[in-house]
Amino acid sequence: MRNIVIALLSIGCLVMLYFTLQAASNLAASDTPEPSIRTTAMADSDKLRLVVITQELDTPFWLKFKQGADASAAANGASLEMWGTYSSDRIEFLKQIEIAIASKVDGIIVQGLDTPEFTNLTKIKAAGSGIPVITVANDVPMQDSLRRTYVGSDHFEAGKLIARQLVQKMGTSGKVVLMTSDEEEDYQRQRLKGILQVLAPFPGIETIIVTSGDSREAIVTAIDNVLNKQPDAKAFVAVSAADAAVTIQQIEKRSRVEPYYIYSFDDNPETMTLLKLNKLDALITQSPQAMGELSVKLMVDWLNGKTVPLRPDGYFTGIRVLKAEDAK
Amino acid sequence: MNGIQRKIMSLSVIVLFIMVIIWAVLTYYNQKTQEQYNEVLQRYLRMNEITNMSQQTVASLNIYLSQPSETTKASFNGTTERLLEAKAELPLLRTGNNAFTLTNYMHMIESLVEAERLSVMFQGQNNNEQSSDRFEEATRIHTYISETTLTLIDKDLKTYDRFYRDIMAQSTTLKRLGIWLLTFLTVTLLLFAYWFSRSITRPIQQLTVAARELARGKFDKQIEIRSNDEISFLARTFDRMRVNINGLISEMQQKAQLELELQESRLLLKESQLRSLQSQINPHFLFNTLDTLSKKAYLDGSEETSDLIASVAGLLRYNLRRLDRSVTLAEELNVVMKYIEIQQARFTDRLTFRQQIDQELLYVRMPCLTLQPIVENAVIHAVEPLEDGGTIIFRVMKDGDDVRIEVEDSGEGMSPDLAKRIVEEQPLEESSARGHSTGIGFSNVVRRLRLFTGRDDVIEIGSAVPHGTKISLKIPMAGRMEQLVEANDRG
Repeated sequence: MRNIVIALLSIGCLVMLYFTLQAASNLAASDTPEPSIRTTAMADSDKLRLVVITQELDTPFWLKFKQGADASAAANGASLEMWGTYSSDRIEFLKQIEIAIASKVDGIIVQGLDTPEFTNLTKIKAAGSGIPVITVANDVPMQDSLRRTYVGSDHFEAGKLIARQLVQKMGTSGKVVLMTSDEEEDYQRQRLKGILQVLAPFPGIETIIVTSGDSREAIVTAIDNVLNKQPDAKAFVAVSAADAAVTIQQIEKRSRVEPYYIYSFDDNPETMTLLKLNKLDALITQSPQAMGELSVKLMVDWLNGKTVPLRPDGYFTGIRVLKAEDAK
Repeated sequence: MNGIQRKIMSLSVIVLFIMVIIWAVLTYYNQKTQEQYNEVLQRYLRMNEITNMSQQTVASLNIYLSQPSETTKASFNGTTERLLEAKAELPLLRTGNNAFTLTNYMHMIESLVEAERLSVMFQGQNNNEQSSDRFEEATRIHTYISETTLTLIDKDLKTYDRFYRDIMAQSTTLKRLGIWLLTFLTVTLLLFAYWFSRSITRPIQQLTVAARELARGKFDKQIEIRSNDEISFLARTFDRMRVNINGLISEMQQKAQLELELQESRLLLKESQLRSLQSQINPHFLFNTLDTLSKKAYLDGSEETSDLIASVAGLLRYNLRRLDRSVTLAEELNVVMKYIEIQQARFTDRLTFRQQIDQELLYVRMPCLTLQPIVENAVIHAVEPLEDGGTIIFRVMKDGDDVRIEVEDSGEGMSPDLAKRIVEEQPLEESSARGHSTGIGFSNVVRRLRLFTGRDDVIEIGSAVPHGTKISLKIPMAGRMEQLVEANDRG
């Protein structure tokens, strides 16, 4: 009896010993929670600090841009951060620019916004603090913003491309509705200019320019108005990206979409889907990745004094027409 | 230090040692965790401090702008200095994740101070509009600083996420280790304490059992206790005591035995003396009568009868002597011859007596009246009952250092049982002693011989060839044991 008790106790003892040792080894193994990140951080402090500020964070366009920018920053030994707002929140966007200026970053790469506040910030604050600004994707005239240069699509050229495509498809007569945003941004003006330049020689083509607010309701109202007033409109060109989907939606409510020639400028998932469904006839694709790469590279080069001065007209990245036939 | 104390001390020291180790380990890990927590808290506190200080600078600037004076300016300068000092320590907080933001943060602080100083400067130049513009800017920057502080803390949380989880995991592991260690130690110590206490109490228990055995009088059981402390010493001493007592007791028993034997021999002596006295009732009368009868027979011309009567008288005279005196073998032989003479007169042809005697051995001393009862016994059993009579052969020879006396008869032989009883001196039945002329029985002879020689192998009863009994006596030539003689003399 006693022997059994002793044997049981001994076995228990061994089991306990096993678990104790296991716990001890676990403890010894987990003995390295010291954050070792700090030491590597010191080397980064001398790098150039660049900030990309956009109004449309995490859209496919800007994600691609970020890819290119990050790769270029890594290649050029600069540290880069992407700031911005999610839904074109202008106040927040401007605040980000101000923060960047207050943070005395080495360079600001910013999506152009053609408003007085923006130009005020870039012109007075950034230039006053000696911080170079490069606009990307959308330009702001240099004399307004004192930007160093512009990197992005040539919107004037894009307008011409779309207009040519339209003429090719529709022929040389018909009513064309051009829908723009009432924000009157530079890139829209450029696109419009391009379109009008191509269409001007054709007397048969009548252009109707519709401006609306940015909100969905405003666009819907504007399109309804156009459709009511101009029932014989043959083509629609969404100069502002947000317009294309809404236009198609409103047309679909009344009739079939196919007879209409509908064009857009921006390739986002929504427009791409529409393009594949053949509801959209063509759109312009841009090269956001190239924009990212080039803008960062130019900024670094400028900061290092390699490329002085930068071309004031800007550096254009590739654009091409993507037709509904090609997208399928 | 002695054994038990050493054991207890070593147990205590081991327990203490284990406790200290556990305490040290747990404290070490706790301390480490606490330091890590402190470090993290320190970071947060420092960042929070920056926000507070920038708030203070803005507040003090505001006070200065509304009430420009030396004291308010000094207070503003003081807060600004403190902010810059705090800023100088910020690089310590740098990690891979927050390097960019932290640099921005530090520049923001600089921008804040610059804006504030500009504001003060414009105030000094009475350019109130510019001054208030700068002040507004400073306020905005302060807001950015607060926001960035939150961003930094957020980044820290992300950076240290794994670290925090590790700390938590570690503390869980530590807790589990503590529990396991506690149970393990409890069981181990229980086992150890049991074993330890047993090592002390078991020898004591064994000793108790041994002591009880001794108390019951069992001295022959050895006390054996394996232990390495005082108990084993105690047990050894105890065992030695037992052995001593055992020895003393057996010695006492031997002495008592001796005493008993002495007592017996004394009693025997008294008896024989009494008999002797009885036989001496009127010896002179008897001898004179026998002498007279002998002379009368001689005068009557019956010489044979006269000799016979003389023999009887000699036999009786010898018989009446004191039994405790030793005699020579020659004297004994003389008495045997007289007895045979008388018996031959009685049995005539029926009794044939032969003797082979080594004459050199006749000086040997022996108790008196030892041979005659044996010879008489032979006559009674081998001659008297038989019609054809019998033969008795008497031999005296040398046998090593002893003298060997043999009496052989041609009778029916003795039963082994009876022979054994005689050799062991057990009392014989009444009938067997009957008819002895001297009244001295066989067993009496054996006992006296043993007392005389001090040896047990004095008599041997065997069978003669072809039939009959052969009785051999062995008497040492060196004489008898002096001690016994003295004892007998004193008695």
